Amino acid sequence: MESEKARSLVRLEHVSRSYGSGKVVHALRDVSLDVEAGQRAAIMGPSGSGKTTLLNLICGLDTATSGVVKIDGVDLSSLDDDIRTRLRREKIGMIFQTFNLLLTLSALENVSLPLRLQGTSRREAESRGQSMLERVGLIDRASHRPDELSGGERQRVAIGRALIFSPPLLLADEPTGNLDSTTGEEILELLDSLHREYNMTIILVTHNMMAAAHCDRVLTLRDGAIFDDKPGRMTTGGGRAC
Amino acid sequence: MLKALTFISLREWQAHKFRMALTIVGITLGVSVYFAIRTANTTLLDSLKLTVEKLAGKATLQVTAGESGFPEQLLDIVRATPGVENAEPVIEVVARPALEGAGNLLILGIDAADDQKLREYQFDPSQTVIGNPLDYISKTNSIMITQSFADRHGLKIGDNLPLYTNQGKQEFEVLGIFKPSGIGEVFGGQIAVMDIYAAQYVFNRGNNFDRIDVKTDPNTTAETVQQRLRERLPAGIEVIRPVNRGKNIENAVATMSQGFLLTSLIALLVAVFIVFNAFSIAVNQRWKEIGILRALGVERSRVERMFLGEAALIGAIGSFVGVGVGFVLAVGANKIMSGIAATTYGVLPTPGPPIFRVDYGFEALVLGVGASLAGSWLPARSASHLDPALALHNIESRHKDVILKLAKLPVGMAVVAAGLALIAFTAPRVGVVFQLGYAGLILLGLVLMLPKLAELMGYLLRPVMDRVFGSEGVLAVDSMIRAPLRTTAVVGALMIGLGFVFATGAFIHSQKRVVVRSINSELTSDIYVAATDLTRSRTYHFSEELGQRIAAVPGVKSIENLRLTFVPYGGDNVALIAIEMDGWFARVRDIVEEGDEARARELMPMGEGFLISLNFSTRWNVRVGDNLQLETPMGTLSRPVLGVIEDYTSEKGTVLVDRQLYKTYWQDNAVDFFDVNLEPGVDQEAVKSDIQRALAGNHRAFVYTNGEYKRWIISVVDQFFTLNYTQMAVAIFVAAIGIINTLIISVTERRREIGIIRAIGGLRRQVRNMVLLEAVAIAIVGIVTAVIKGVCDTYFLVNTASAVLAGYTIPFYFPGWLILQTTPLVIIIGLVAAWWPARNAVNLNVIEVLGAE
Repeated sequence: MESEKARSLVRLEHVSRSYGSGKVVHALRDVSLDVEAGQRAAIMGPSGSGKTTLLNLICGLDTATSGVVKIDGVDLSSLDDDIRTRLRREKIGMIFQTFNLLLTLSALENVSLPLRLQGTSRREAESRGQSMLERVGLIDRASHRPDELSGGERQRVAIGRALIFSPPLLLADEPTGNLDSTTGEEILELLDSLHREYNMTIILVTHNMMAAAHCDRVLTLRDGAIFDDKPGRMTTGGGRAC
Repeated sequence: MLKALTFISLREWQAHKFRMALTIVGITLGVSVYFAIRTANTTLLDSLKLTVEKLAGKATLQVTAGESGFPEQLLDIVRATPGVENAEPVIEVVARPALEGAGNLLILGIDAADDQKLREYQFDPSQTVIGNPLDYISKTNSIMITQSFADRHGLKIGDNLPLYTNQGKQEFEVLGIFKPSGIGEVFGGQIAVMDIYAAQYVFNRGNNFDRIDVKTDPNTTAETVQQRLRERLPAGIEVIRPVNRGKNIENAVATMSQGFLLTSLIALLVAVFIVFNAFSIAVNQRWKEIGILRALGVERSRVERMFLGEAALIGAIGSFVGVGVGFVLAVGANKIMSGIAATTYGVLPTPGPPIFRVDYGFEALVLGVGASLAGSWLPARSASHLDPALALHNIESRHKDVILKLAKLPVGMAVVAAGLALIAFTAPRVGVVFQLGYAGLILLGLVLMLPKLAELMGYLLRPVMDRVFGSEGVLAVDSMIRAPLRTTAVVGALMIGLGFVFATGAFIHSQKRVVVRSINSELTSDIYVAATDLTRSRTYHFSEELGQRIAAVPGVKSIENLRLTFVPYGGDNVALIAIEMDGWFARVRDIVEEGDEARARELMPMGEGFLISLNFSTRWNVRVGDNLQLETPMGTLSRPVLGVIEDYTSEKGTVLVDRQLYKTYWQDNAVDFFDVNLEPGVDQEAVKSDIQRALAGNHRAFVYTNGEYKRWIISVVDQFFTLNYTQMAVAIFVAAIGIINTLIISVTERRREIGIIRAIGGLRRQVRNMVLLEAVAIAIVGIVTAVIKGVCDTYFLVNTASAVLAGYTIPFYFPGWLILQTTPLVIIIGLVAAWWPARNAVNLNVIEVLGAE
């Protein structure tokens, strides 16, 4: 039952994910988890502990072997691929360690791509894309392609793309993993700032304690199960977010 | 270090087997066509040479006078010439047996008593009851045939073989059957022998021989005897080596094989683009590997050599496979080439099985490896210039297209303009190599222009695709525009293949238009009676008496007797048309293009001049008023040129002469066509039937009404272009393989991009549509560039190529109909090519794709 103060945006009920048919690899084992709307949760753990698998299940790119994954109360397994894809496009923003920008498109075109995929006219998509680029501090680099941008700038473009629909949920997979510490810190501060503005839920997969320190809840995974779940150093509604 | 790099290369291609296989297929295609044509050509020419040798026997020289023959008195002069050991006369006729499916038969008329000194005739003793049948062949109604012909038609000794002769259909008793060896295997057994005087009579040769075969004294060189004979014989008589007798067919085969070799060149050019595409993708994917190698101390030149080495290996594998496939294709190519040549020349040697030539294999290997190196050169160079620091930095630091840092569009346009200007302003006889250079310049210019052209056309397409297909259409066009290397490769493959198709189509159409114009002005009789169902009959002709019988058919107002033969001129053979000029001028209007038509009408019937064709005038530089000299069996015939007309009987040029003048100088009264003019109001079909009835059963004749004859000529012209149509089909196939190959490679290598689109919310349907629509966009851009190239090439063909090959230029024609027909086909091919990768794209595992990066 959801609390009156904060409803659960992401809920996992006894979720397991295993791969292979002969020698089965259990990536996640019986994970149950609630992440409230507006909350910032860091997921930590050693390599192979199931962090990215968890993220893939939440965004609907992967499906659980057993258990239920709900986003805003909707069971993802009950949706067909198209509806799940639309939900991912409009309600879930994703950023990656390797940015995953389309190399042939400019920064503006990358940011406005989800709108174009939704069917928004080119003009409107680019107008909104420009606003978003301005918000992430890259308006002067709008016509540049990814290979003409620095790592930090690329991640800003990726963040702009992820937030173009103002989604209630942002999933970040090692967003600072490919950046130096200064640039990484800048990206985390940008996320803090955007969180204050949009109040979206953020789930951040990271190895980096500094990154986790920006969150108000830290979950630790080990061998596919939640090993630890404790409050982060930051508190919700405080000065610094995730 | 080289070994280490080889190891890396092998691992890389092992990981991308599909891309490697498709690239190899590209090389294989071009090499196989090349090797097949080279092999088939040689096989056909070898069998032709063997046939000529068997027919010539021990003869070292041959005396001829074009196709009209010469008086038999010349035999005494030849025999009396010092150094001549034996001289035997020959009548050579291609005749049609009156048997179902018998085809044409080469009839040799020989003097049985002495011909055995030159040729060996082997008989099967079990097939003869009269000893050596040659001793009895002087019977006018006897003939000897080959074992294979006898077996095919169930003939045996003593049976009658019905033949169409100039004396009507006649029965010949089979007196002997050759063993299937020596002369008995010539033309697949389609050969027969009869007495020379019988042949003279039944084939209306009068007192003429077609040829004298000469065996020279072993103590005197053939060249010496040749010189002596030339000094003793009249000017119109030729003394040649037997090997030269096959020259006409050799030339025809050479023209065909050149055409197909051009097609193989097109296929290899397409292969260059396929290799370019594959290596551009490889370099793009291996940026990090290159960065690591550079960081580890591998020099730029070694990186470049690593890629070029890979290209050489792929080229070699493709070439080896191509040689194998080509050897198999050679059997089919042999049949096609023999068939086309046989249509024109009546009978042809049956080619044996293809013989593997190592030197051709080596040539094919050089071409295949060369094409592969050419295609990989720019990507290899680009790889070697990659900034290692940038490459190692992170995943988006892929190299940019920095190759050939020049303003490609203006440079390309300038190069194309230079090529067109050279075509327009240089003389037609500047040399084939230079002239091919013009076409090469145009190609180079267009290749330079391609990336920018594709981009510009993409911007034009974008609003259309937006309107028709929405965001997916725009994203597809954007993807095309933003990946100029990938797009250029596919578009280039299409441009080469389709450009060739459009240019060939336009060239054919232009040629046909001038031919149609010419036959409409020349062919004005009501009915035509022809001695052959081929374009002309070299050996079987009508007699004038037959013409009198046709003239006596009710409704016939007049006839003209037309003789079409070839006579030596300027070291070549030109067409000679002899017809009653008064009758001809009475029914044609405004026929003379250059010269005074009234004067020609007055003087030509009196034998006081020649008319020449436009291409004769251009090729031999002869103008109205010039004195034209022709060598005849009766000496040199010299007359002024009274006019130039449009006539395309021969690409070497045509001379028209009054029939009476011809008969006097060539001592030949044979007829090839009767041009029949009817009384006003008479039904053509009814008279045609009457003529057919009058000739039925006795004479092999083909009777056409005016409309039928013109349609038949058009069909013959079409048949002439069969080779070009075949080339067009091969080029479309090559273009299709090119687009399929490059699109599959491109789309397969865009897995990551597609994975990202799926990850950020692209629906499966959207991804599939984007891939398919990009293929459509590329196909459209490819067609547009192919049209540009096709138009340039057509301009080259109708001006330069036509002037060189045929001695005249033809009007330019834009192949709109062909483009309209081809466009949907190419779009369908593009969709088919993209269908499988599109399916793969929608089903790919996003997590795997993104995880792999």
